[in-house]
Amino acid sequence: MKARLALSLATASLWHRRKVLALVCLTLTLSVTLLLGIQYLRTEVKQSFTSTISDTDLIIGARSGQLNLLLYTVFHIGDATNNIRWSTFQELKQDKRIDWLIPISLGDGYKGFRVVGTDDGFGEHFRFGRGQPLKLAGGQWFDGVFDVVLGAGVARTLNHAIDDKIILSHGGGRTSFSNHKNTPFTVTGILESTGTPVDQAVYISLQGMEAMHVGWESGVAIPGRTLTPEQAEGRDFTPSAITAVFAGLDRKILTFRVQRDLNQYTGEPLSAILPGVALSELWRLMSQFERALLGITGFVVITSLIGLIAVLLTLQTQRAHEIAILRAAGASPSLIASLYIIECLALALVACLISLLLSVLAISILGPWLLTHYGVQIQLRPLNLEEWALLVSVPLAAVLVALIPAFSAWRQGRSQGFGSPGEP
Amino acid sequence: MNSQSESGAHSSQSGRFALEVTNLTFHWDSHQPTLTFPDVSLPRGEHLFIQGASGTGKSTFLSLLAGMLPPASGAIKLLGTNIHQLSAGKRDRFRADHIGVIFQQFNLVPYLTAEANVTLPCRLSQLRRAATGEAPAVATQRLLTALAIPESHWQRKVTQLSIGQQQRIAAARALIGAPEIILADEPTSALDSENRDRFINLLLAMAEEHNTSVLFVSHDRALAHHFHHQIQLGQVPA
Repeated sequence: MKARLALSLATASLWHRRKVLALVCLTLTLSVTLLLGIQYLRTEVKQSFTSTISDTDLIIGARSGQLNLLLYTVFHIGDATNNIRWSTFQELKQDKRIDWLIPISLGDGYKGFRVVGTDDGFGEHFRFGRGQPLKLAGGQWFDGVFDVVLGAGVARTLNHAIDDKIILSHGGGRTSFSNHKNTPFTVTGILESTGTPVDQAVYISLQGMEAMHVGWESGVAIPGRTLTPEQAEGRDFTPSAITAVFAGLDRKILTFRVQRDLNQYTGEPLSAILPGVALSELWRLMSQFERALLGITGFVVITSLIGLIAVLLTLQTQRAHEIAILRAAGASPSLIASLYIIECLALALVACLISLLLSVLAISILGPWLLTHYGVQIQLRPLNLEEWALLVSVPLAAVLVALIPAFSAWRQGRSQGFGSPGEP
Repeated sequence: MNSQSESGAHSSQSGRFALEVTNLTFHWDSHQPTLTFPDVSLPRGEHLFIQGASGTGKSTFLSLLAGMLPPASGAIKLLGTNIHQLSAGKRDRFRADHIGVIFQQFNLVPYLTAEANVTLPCRLSQLRRAATGEAPAVATQRLLTALAIPESHWQRKVTQLSIGQQQRIAAARALIGAPEIILADEPTSALDSENRDRFINLLLAMAEEHNTSVLFVSHDRALAHHFHHQIQLGQVPA
């Protein structure tokens, strides 16, 4: 009965002060949304990051550290230390334990985007996310020597369409003075957005890579020795070296054995890495930053809770009469204290509820837009335990915060005389 | 201090007293002078007028009677119970069950309707809820009608009502569930003289229906004639 009275009084009181409290509730809602949003994004980005590449069991390159190899093959950051001989690649193909191989040949750029020379295996075997294959948004995979397939981000940024002719540059820089002017490539396909670095590169065949470098042996084009597309017809462009190889194994259980064998390969110094392990190591480097971000957001919530106490304490002076009336009518000091706690808790719950709704709305509206415009993949999913814990901590913190005005109301209620407060 | 207790017509109606005050003193802190209050014995159902100028401790006296301040010495018995020997929780309970209050002003909880303000004591005390003998809402409507509050005002926020109406609603709240004692702290000070006399007559008439004692504090001596007994506070002891 007392609980019902306290609830109905608190409800009426909240409604009575709805204008002021709506503002407090709004700040709390925004900060909770921020907290929840950042926590959610953290998990999503981590998920998206660690699934930048999937189903690839080993990445094989010239001898180097695992992060370096991962960075230049998957993220297109930095450069290879050395190449792998074509003969080594052929030897890998003979290995019975290896199911498929994707050769990767790097070194050129297109207006700041990396050019990746590869073969049909790329479209066929490359997986990202939870094993999703690459899909073409339009056109088809490269077939001819001078065909190019664009990542979604490249096509979007540079506004390219199928059948556009593009000129690739020598070297990876954004502005390059040495362009492969004589060998323009034709866009035959554009990939769908993946939310991974795949979007930020252009893909040509190994033959195309080889063909445009004919006559470039010294690092610059020697006039008269480069090819035109017409001259390239019918010639054989088997490369002499590639940069790295993505490999898929028949039996995953052999991964470590194959890795060891490759690391001890006698033909040339090789490194084989497990992409999953390298990715989580890379993520650990960034986790300090994201933890700091979460910490800052936590402070935002604490700030708005302090704002809530400030408002409640200000309102308390207005409520002196009301408390006097309730006390005189026989309400206990604890009933009056409970009003504060209920009101604070209700505000926090409303704030949490609204921020949940806001987040769901924002993600379902912005998610697809972010993917198509920025290649960031954020999907709606049920909250995980950590996010629930954060969400539940807000009303709990609000109750703790409410103890301050509640205790002062309780003391005021106990010591207050009859009638107007402070009147002797 | 003197006690001027005039015996009234109803003095022997009941063997029990509504209020007994003996040797009551109070001080806020050791630096301030001690207030001494007259002894009072008020039979049940009779009304007491407590007169005193500003600063003579009228509100303090009511706080002591209501059990909201502890006395320095002396005893207060309400309906035979020494309220300052009760625990804090029981004192609150006792107040909810047996005492109705009317303040000088700002009597009503601002966020409740007129009707909800009147039913408040019934929600705090089962005893008073039971004493209405009917649904509290019905008792409330009867009281509000008797106190001439138009029906259109019952569901209104109390802040939209006139001072006179607010005081009558406060009276209805004090009267509901027929408590044995009503403490009224200058409830008429904000009213004009016509409204004031009507208010006191209505309050006392309705209190008598339920055999309720009204303890009425005011600085205004002219009101004393409405009551069976009167005492005066703040007279320097000889």
